[in-house]
Amino acid sequence: MSIFFKSPIDIEILFDNEESRKHVDIASRSSSSSYKSMKESLPVYEDGESLGGIVTLRVRDGKKVDHLGIKVSVIGSIDMIKSHGSGNSSSKKSTSSTSSSTSNNGSSDIRKNSVDQFLCQSYDLCPAGELQHSQSFPFLFRDLSKRYESYKGKNVDVAYFVKVTVMRKSTDISKIKKLWVYLYNSIATAPNALSTNGPQANFNSASADGEDGASNKNDATPKKDGPVEAADDNQVLPAPHSTNEPKPVKLDIGIENCLHIEFEYAKSQYSLKEVIVGRIYFLLTRLRIKHMELSLITRESSGLQTSNVLTDSTAIRYEIMDGSPVKGETIPIRLFLSGYDLTPNVSCNYFNVKNYLSLVIIDEDGRRYFKQSEITLYRTR
Amino acid sequence: MAYADTPENAISVIKQRTALMNRCLSQHKLMESLQHTSIMLTELRNPNLSPKKYYELYVVVFDSLTNLSTYLIENHPQNHHLADLYELVQYTGNVVPRLYLMITVGTSYLAFNDAPKMEILKDMIEMCRGVQNPTRGLFLRYYLSQRTKELLPEDDSLFNSQFIMNNFIEMNKLWVRLQHQGPLRERESRTRERKELQILVGSQLVRLSQIIDDNFQMYRQDILPTILEQVIQCRDLVSQEYLLDVICQVFTDEFHLKTLDTLLQTTLHLNPDVSINKIVLTLVDRLNDYITRQQEEEPNATAANAYLDMDVFGTFWDYLTLLNHERPDLSLQQFIPLIESIIVLSLKWYPENFENLNKLFELVLQKTKDYGQKNISLESEHLFLNLLSFQNNKLQMSSSSTASSNQSIISKKHFIFQLISKCQAYKSILALQNITLQKKVVNKILDILMDADTEELTDNEPESKLHASSRDKFHLVIENKLQVQRLLSICEPLIISRSGPPTNATSSETNIDEVFFNRHDEEESWTLDPIQEKLAHLIHWIMNTTSRKQTEESRIQFSLESQLEILLLIKSSFIKGGINVKYTFPAIITNFWKLIRKCHMILQYLLKKRADNKTLSSHYSNLLKQMFKFVSRCINDIFNSCNNSCTDLILKLNLQCATLADQLQLGEISYDFFSQAFTIFEESLSDSKTQLQALIYIAQSLQKTRSLYKETYYDSLIVRCTLHGSKLLKKQDQCRAVYLCSHLWWATEISNIGEEEGITDNFFRDGKRVLECLQRSLRVADSIMDNEQSCELMIEILNRCLYYFIHGDEAETHISMKYINGLIELIKTNLKSLKLEDNSTSMMTNSMNDLHITGDSNIKSNVNPEDGSGIADKDTNVAVGSDGTYIQLNTLNGSSTIIHGIVATASGSKLLHQLKYIPIHHFQRTCEYIEGQREVDDRFKVIYV
Repeated sequence: MSIFFKSPIDIEILFDNEESRKHVDIASRSSSSSYKSMKESLPVYEDGESLGGIVTLRVRDGKKVDHLGIKVSVIGSIDMIKSHGSGNSSSKKSTSSTSSSTSNNGSSDIRKNSVDQFLCQSYDLCPAGELQHSQSFPFLFRDLSKRYESYKGKNVDVAYFVKVTVMRKSTDISKIKKLWVYLYNSIATAPNALSTNGPQANFNSASADGEDGASNKNDATPKKDGPVEAADDNQVLPAPHSTNEPKPVKLDIGIENCLHIEFEYAKSQYSLKEVIVGRIYFLLTRLRIKHMELSLITRESSGLQTSNVLTDSTAIRYEIMDGSPVKGETIPIRLFLSGYDLTPNVSCNYFNVKNYLSLVIIDEDGRRYFKQSEITLYRTR
Repeated sequence: MAYADTPENAISVIKQRTALMNRCLSQHKLMESLQHTSIMLTELRNPNLSPKKYYELYVVVFDSLTNLSTYLIENHPQNHHLADLYELVQYTGNVVPRLYLMITVGTSYLAFNDAPKMEILKDMIEMCRGVQNPTRGLFLRYYLSQRTKELLPEDDSLFNSQFIMNNFIEMNKLWVRLQHQGPLRERESRTRERKELQILVGSQLVRLSQIIDDNFQMYRQDILPTILEQVIQCRDLVSQEYLLDVICQVFTDEFHLKTLDTLLQTTLHLNPDVSINKIVLTLVDRLNDYITRQQEEEPNATAANAYLDMDVFGTFWDYLTLLNHERPDLSLQQFIPLIESIIVLSLKWYPENFENLNKLFELVLQKTKDYGQKNISLESEHLFLNLLSFQNNKLQMSSSSTASSNQSIISKKHFIFQLISKCQAYKSILALQNITLQKKVVNKILDILMDADTEELTDNEPESKLHASSRDKFHLVIENKLQVQRLLSICEPLIISRSGPPTNATSSETNIDEVFFNRHDEEESWTLDPIQEKLAHLIHWIMNTTSRKQTEESRIQFSLESQLEILLLIKSSFIKGGINVKYTFPAIITNFWKLIRKCHMILQYLLKKRADNKTLSSHYSNLLKQMFKFVSRCINDIFNSCNNSCTDLILKLNLQCATLADQLQLGEISYDFFSQAFTIFEESLSDSKTQLQALIYIAQSLQKTRSLYKETYYDSLIVRCTLHGSKLLKKQDQCRAVYLCSHLWWATEISNIGEEEGITDNFFRDGKRVLECLQRSLRVADSIMDNEQSCELMIEILNRCLYYFIHGDEAETHISMKYINGLIELIKTNLKSLKLEDNSTSMMTNSMNDLHITGDSNIKSNVNPEDGSGIADKDTNVAVGSDGTYIQLNTLNGSSTIIHGIVATASGSKLLHQLKYIPIHHFQRTCEYIEGQREVDDRFKVIYV
């Protein structure tokens, strides 16, 4: 804000065909609660797509501005909350981008610090000289590869932006413009976790609202080993998982002498436009069930394995059954995903996002019984 | 998403949301209106509503959703696509509103021909599984059914039926489950709630029947087995009862007929508490209605009765046997109504087949015996009553509705009779019941038999004989002895046991004897007994029906013997009645008399037409004598079983027999009966009053006999009679008896047998003995102390004398003018002394009696010379009867006579006083008569009054 009355140059970045481009609304995480619902609309790009546009520099009041050169760069970074313990481990990485992140003025969330700048391309738009009047420079990053999908989570963000910097002897003048990246997969990608927690056949039972977080603390997130470079590529998966034909998820669980159900999802990997189809067989019910819900939980895990932080958020809550069934009943499941704003699975060194389907049974006394099984969500075109 | 706390609030919320929804729709804001709808539907999630309240909400919601549906259909291609909407509404978070919306959108989509109808339907019904709460699930599925009603694919009835059946099965499951939810103590209210909801389930079967139409193949192969399987599987009392009832009601009769065994088999596998009889009864009703309709449509066509070839009863019978075998636990209370309904069926389908009924009754019999007859509880008693007396059965045997009530009664009578005569088991069951019940049942049966009969009689009266013969086919025909035997054995409880009001006789069997004997002592006298009267009626009825047959077939000579046999049968059965024979035997005897007369007629006929056939005529004359012996036997039976209580009756019966025998020229037999009568008189009659009556009666009978003259039977009898008369206790009785006996020597004409005074010359007449009798009675009269009595008797004797004077020559009768004059003188003298006595008393009581004495002139005008005796007063007459009793005549009320006590002591002194005038007036009238006769007969001119 303060830049406006100080900055002698007004920088405007305009992407090519920006108006006609597909946009996505992202809730801006404004600190003031009154603007909570404010959304910013960002243009969407995908991996390998060229990013081009025009940078217009306007000089205020016809004054001349000396500069040491004008640079345009495209940056992709992983930002994490600074207080985060894991932030320290990669502090040296973050310092490399400190200058830019501290100086950016349009950033809405200052609490997060960049921990990894996985993308940084830049070139000079013009050499050092003097700006006497408004001037426009086209720029183009050809076939820009974007490794990660944009993400805005509780503790972690993956952000892409274009930054134009006018270098001066005094403070540089810079301007950033955010963009949003979608990665489309034609096949399932990176379900690096087991699709189900096979051996754990018992229902997790927790009183009242103990569902979130409590259960899976001990579930060690699968180790991601290998050097940093290894994360550049999508993880290589074992052969059966990467095949195109989806395998149904089947689980047989229960509480002894009380409940025994068998549920089945058609597959473990879903595109975001898909429908989750499945069914639940009741083999034994002594519970007086009030209703049953299916919820989709997005679990963000950030930091390194030594001290990572898990944050669960319930993306979908969907009642699938009302009343108490008897032995032999089959309850159909059908959940359209496309209407919800979901996050596909992401996995990288610093964080990962996983999705779980949680089947919750609430009995008449308010007790909740649930079973989570991991599914992989991916984005398709 | 919360729901309102009270049903009232819920309704207001729904209405409010409906209004909002409609407003949004009118502005084409579909999304918003869907949101409102969804909120509205949240009310249907409320778990605290009773089915009734829930239904109220449902109705409002249904209307509201209809609006939505209409909008969706109208705007389908232009403003939105229903396929998209179908997906869209599935984002609704709660399952109940989601499904309502899905169904609304889905069915709207079905209205278009390009819609993937089957997929939508399948999807909807599949997703409905998400609601497992019974009440909400039932209503949801009901909603589905209502919405899809008109929209099922037209060409694929198999799919449609599967669809509906699927829905039905799930609904039934939910419905049954409702029973088992909640605490045990609320079970009752659960059942009640379920009953409220049953129509929702039943509606599915109704839908099915509409879909099936007449596709029997599908019904038999797919639908019925599935439904029945479902019914059996659910093992639920309420459900099984209701669903089977609905099945019986909604599908067509033809289907039931063809799948009868399947249906019946099903009932074997039901919950043991299900009352099978209700189901079977419903089924039977259906089948019976079917038959009725068939017959109404084509009363005569046999083609329409193609199904009659099927052995419907056989199916039921097999079923019953199986049931009895597999369910020995079935109580009589359940079993009997079942049998009853099958009886109804059998009657309708096979009205002529009593074999079936017999089979059924045998089964009941066996069943009853299995339980032990002592264990027939009070509750089952009324069941038996119903069963045995066919109270529940609308016995419309003549199945055409045009049949008059009269005919139906006749046919009912027919039926009962056939039943009795053909079904042995019926009787056996009856015999197992306690006495009271038996009586009730038999009473009812007899009522039916007799009731119709009386109606028949009234019907026949106006009709000519020709018509009567055409009506014969409606008459009951007893064909053989066996039938009579069975009928009688049915009636046995009534015959044997002591009658009386049934309520009194409820005591158990062991007590009955005691009661019997007590009664025996108490009730020497005759009381009106409706039951015994009915039995007597029955005897006549049997005999009438048997004789009716004979007139029809005109085979009198052959049937006489059989009639006799039947009568003997009746006799032998009624003799078990003990003291009751006094009620019933007279009827039997009367029938013997009839037969005797008939036999006599045949004999006459034979003698006239075929004089040569000696053997035949001798056979009949033997028969005749035989029958008299039977009658005699009957009378003896009465005598033996009743001791002294009915000697009067026996005497009269004897005399009647004697008269009858005499009329048939059987002097010997007649004599026998007379001697019997005398024996009774001598041995058993002790009361002087009855003795006089009996003597008068004997004399009357004797006087008319004609066949006793040979071998001086007559002479000895009349002498004996007179002798008895002269030995009576009271003098006035002696007097009267003797002067009446005088007639025994003076036979008079009986025009019926061709006698005529003056032409017939062989009358038995002996004037000398007549005079003797009169003189003897005069002597007795003279010796009576009471002057009034004496005078009265003398006047009566004078009257007798006058009678003989008129009817015979002096030479013949020996009653001369002189004798009469002397008698008159004697009377006058006596009367004078009577008046003297009267004057002395009237001096004292003149004022009181003024009125009566001065009435002389009035009295004279009132006197009727033909009347034997009498005294007239202004409003009352006192007369003396032929046996010396006083009779008060009330002239004001016309001719009605009131027997007012024997002696007027009860009537007070006024009446007593009048008694004195009886002989005076009597004499006056006699004198007047003599004076009147002077004009006709010259001989009277010499009698001085």
